[in-house]
Amino acid sequence: MFRQDLHISDQELIESADGEITGRRAVQVRAHLAACWSCRARMADIESTIADFVRSHRQALDGQLPSSNGPRALLRARITQLAHETKVHSVWQLPQFTSAARIAALSVAIMGVAILAATFIGGALVEHSIHHGSDSGVASIERGALPERSLTPGATRSVAISEVCSMPHEEVVREVPDSIRKRVLQEYGIANARPDDYEIDYLIAPGLGGVEDIHNLWPEPSETERWNAHVKDALEERLHQLVCSGNLDLPTAQRDIATNWIAAYKKYFHTDMPLSVHSHLGTASTGRGDQQPKSKRSAFS
Amino acid sequence: MPSTDSIADSIIDSINDSISQLIFPATATAEVAAKPSEIEFAVMHLFDQFRSPLLRYSLSLGISVHDAEEVTQEVFLALFRHLQLGRSRQNLRGWIFRVAHNLALKQRYANQTSRDRMESGETIAEQHPELHIDPSPNPEEHLSSAQRQRLLQAVLQALPQTDQNCLRLRAEGLSYRDIAAVLGISLGSVSISLTRSIARLVRADGR
Repeated sequence: MFRQDLHISDQELIESADGEITGRRAVQVRAHLAACWSCRARMADIESTIADFVRSHRQALDGQLPSSNGPRALLRARITQLAHETKVHSVWQLPQFTSAARIAALSVAIMGVAILAATFIGGALVEHSIHHGSDSGVASIERGALPERSLTPGATRSVAISEVCSMPHEEVVREVPDSIRKRVLQEYGIANARPDDYEIDYLIAPGLGGVEDIHNLWPEPSETERWNAHVKDALEERLHQLVCSGNLDLPTAQRDIATNWIAAYKKYFHTDMPLSVHSHLGTASTGRGDQQPKSKRSAFS
Repeated sequence: MPSTDSIADSIIDSINDSISQLIFPATATAEVAAKPSEIEFAVMHLFDQFRSPLLRYSLSLGISVHDAEEVTQEVFLALFRHLQLGRSRQNLRGWIFRVAHNLALKQRYANQTSRDRMESGETIAEQHPELHIDPSPNPEEHLSSAQRQRLLQAVLQALPQTDQNCLRLRAEGLSYRDIAAVLGISLGSVSISLTRSIARLVRADGR
């Protein structure tokens, strides 16, 4: 039984403020608060603390959130691909199928999703092992050959294939401005690196819809012998050709190169090691200290 | 005890229904299959609305920014499949957070086992030691806004994990019922947890 003169518990004050009390009890709580300054003062303390907490919660985390442009474009591309795949395989719209056929189709669909998931998880695990050198087969990848994923996840813009395939050469090879170069080096904790030691490279090349965004740029060591920028150039060129000839869809190309470009090279060139014609390209002129992403110069020309 | 009566339930449902109506104005019933373009539109709409809250929540569970971003992508791809299969559109906000919670924990577990990079129970405070300050308030001291916020973060980090999750989910706008579903605890536990945590924050806040 509720008595008007009994104060309201903290729990009920909070529930009431949160709109979690309804009906007769809500009316009683409101009536008590109207009459009781003491409970109103407690309620005000609670509300102020909640406001402070929300501010501190946001402030502690919002600074870490990357811009949403890249992830938004990536999600849209993935959804478009998913919708396309489903359309091709869907039998649900066809009324003449028996329920047994529908169940069979569903099983196939579930298996497909499971295989996709397994591929994704498998890819992620392979990538983790590359980063941490736990897999002896890939332990020989030089340090820095792969970007740090938390800093450089890759970023793309929404772009039509026709646009990518008719992109002017100047746009593909455009220079990274000095201010961005500095920010990238700073993010990687090598702000004082000599210009000769690193070149700022795009993870997803502009010719594949990649953007000039700090999340899509990383300092590639100039000294890398095996998995170097020339090998990556070759991969970019290969992906570009596949996309423009209609043999590969752009979102897959973007995802593969962003997830692990070395694994993508192995996949698209069917080899475990970089082809010598790629890795030794241009090693005679190792003066790569300029700020231009040199790897783009020969790409798609 | 919190109200669990049907009136509350129906009010929460109607709020969720109105979100669903907003997103699917022409096809609100489950019987009518939405066109792929409508579903795509709805998913992108929800992405715009919930990406930041989901990233914040995933980060607070102790995974990296990159992993949180990937979790968020997976959540919305799963949502697309969910809607494409004509499954329930009720309470999509609760559904989204539930999937994100599970995926983020799975990711954290995978990180721990395969990379052994993160210590069990590692929190943002451990990643950002600058947030660690003495949580005992001095009532005589007038705290600046920045100090107060650091203090609240320190108190938050000292709370049990479930209490932290309850507070963070509530701060992202989830109802008690949604929080209970995400964390797999009872409605009463949510209310008690929030009361306990807010009481500590009020004390620390020196109010």
